[in-house]
Amino acid sequence: MKAAILDGIVLGLQYGLLGVGLTLVFGLAGVLNLAHGQLAVLAAIIAALTIDAGAAVGLAALVGILCAAGANLFLDRTLMQPVYRLRGESRVLLGLLLMLGVAFVIDGFLEWRYPIEALSLRIGGDPIPILGVNMRVGSLLASAIAVAAGAALLVFFRGTTTGRAVRSVIQDEDGARLCGINPAFVRALVFALSGALAGLVAITRSMTSPVTVTEGITLTTLALIVAVVGGLGSVSGAFLAGILLGIVDRVSSFYIGTYITTIMLLAAAAITIVVRPSGLLGARR
Amino acid sequence: MGAPTVAEPLLVVDGISAGYLDQDVVHQVGLTMDAGDAVAVIGSNGAGKTTLFRAVCGMLAASRGGVHFGGVDITGWRAHRIARAGVAYVPAERHLFPEMSVRDNLSLGAYPRRPDATRMALVFDLFPRLGERARQHAGTMSGGEQQMLAVGRALMSKPRLLMLDEPSTGLAPKLAAEAYAALAELRRQGLTILVAEQQVPMALGLADRAYVLENGRVELEGTSTELAQNPDVRRAYLGVA
Repeated sequence: MKAAILDGIVLGLQYGLLGVGLTLVFGLAGVLNLAHGQLAVLAAIIAALTIDAGAAVGLAALVGILCAAGANLFLDRTLMQPVYRLRGESRVLLGLLLMLGVAFVIDGFLEWRYPIEALSLRIGGDPIPILGVNMRVGSLLASAIAVAAGAALLVFFRGTTTGRAVRSVIQDEDGARLCGINPAFVRALVFALSGALAGLVAITRSMTSPVTVTEGITLTTLALIVAVVGGLGSVSGAFLAGILLGIVDRVSSFYIGTYITTIMLLAAAAITIVVRPSGLLGARR
Repeated sequence: MGAPTVAEPLLVVDGISAGYLDQDVVHQVGLTMDAGDAVAVIGSNGAGKTTLFRAVCGMLAASRGGVHFGGVDITGWRAHRIARAGVAYVPAERHLFPEMSVRDNLSLGAYPRRPDATRMALVFDLFPRLGERARQHAGTMSGGEQQMLAVGRALMSKPRLLMLDEPSTGLAPKLAAEAYAALAELRRQGLTILVAEQQVPMALGLADRAYVLENGRVELEGTSTELAQNPDVRRAYLGVA
């Protein structure tokens, strides 16, 4: 049980890192990025190809992350422009459909060109006992990176002028414009940040299990569940939800079976929508 | 290269028309004000005051006409750029950041610069209530406090022009009078103020000059004293038979 919970926290930190990128873009731009998992896979495959070409692992990871950030920034500046002219429900729908299209394009391209490519970063070293449970070094490193990224995001949003400007656009876009904040600049920044986070989660995930070309849909679904449970737009909500869902995932897989975990996670999201539509830490509107 | 004899007006609104969905609400409105002026735009609900203000500060695209600010043609500029050029607009709905503290709201008013401590002290001096509640979330404050915060946030950018749309809206008479007292103090300190108001007596009390807007057109303009004595104005807006 203790091992399942610790494993759940390790997994949950990855879920949080995965969900936070999706939640930010939705909170800011009203776009549900259904290609979020595919962006992560894109980063993983680019990193794997860069390693194949002989580059150092750190450099390859950076290249993958930057490519995902660049791809998301490109989507914001091009494909999403018609979306921003719409308001309310039609905006959400068009954004969602266009991003679904992007997801198919990335999936299709990668499966066609690189069907057997995968990113797997083996982190060596003897397991380290934590509370009497032997944890793999890869898991601990992935968790440390997720915690550091989460902390960096909180410092950015609470403590910097640019971070506060991003939050101001989420809370009242017109108010932000009146303060001299350019919403288009803030959107571009957050899309790039979200893409980089998708890339980062691909790198950390590959430290515990290989990231293959077919994994995009799974990652997108997980990101969506985490974002819904945590509250769309909430950074700390995404991490809290990620950890809770990670524990649900590992504990149910330990006591019932792996086949049940996805159903359990979807059920958690469904229950959240019924009981607390704004999510754990989301703003009530 | 002699000294200029006539100062250039700070704001020139030149025959501006604007509206929504191809339907103009404001028709060829002109307005001029010098630095240091306090000017009111008065008129009943639906006369087009808000549309005019939104068009001036770039929240709404004008269908014709232009706006010059400080000698620069700012026609067609987007709102954030006009704000950075020194026009601070306080809309009637205030548009505060509800889940941020009073202090963070004020800090963002100074964007993109870092908030200036002396400037913030000046705002707290004008509205001591905001200082007492610096850590409170804006969304949990009363209407009067939110109005103070909206004005305070606008002041943080050291604007050259402060525009206020219906600063008395939703306020009890006593609070509305306090809001206008604060504006009078800012005016005394030399700030240029443009205010839209349907509470005509208060607006005329603050402003030196006023424009009367009816059905999207300027029907009358003059000094506040002239307008306060005009029989039509007295009948329509001052409740005098």
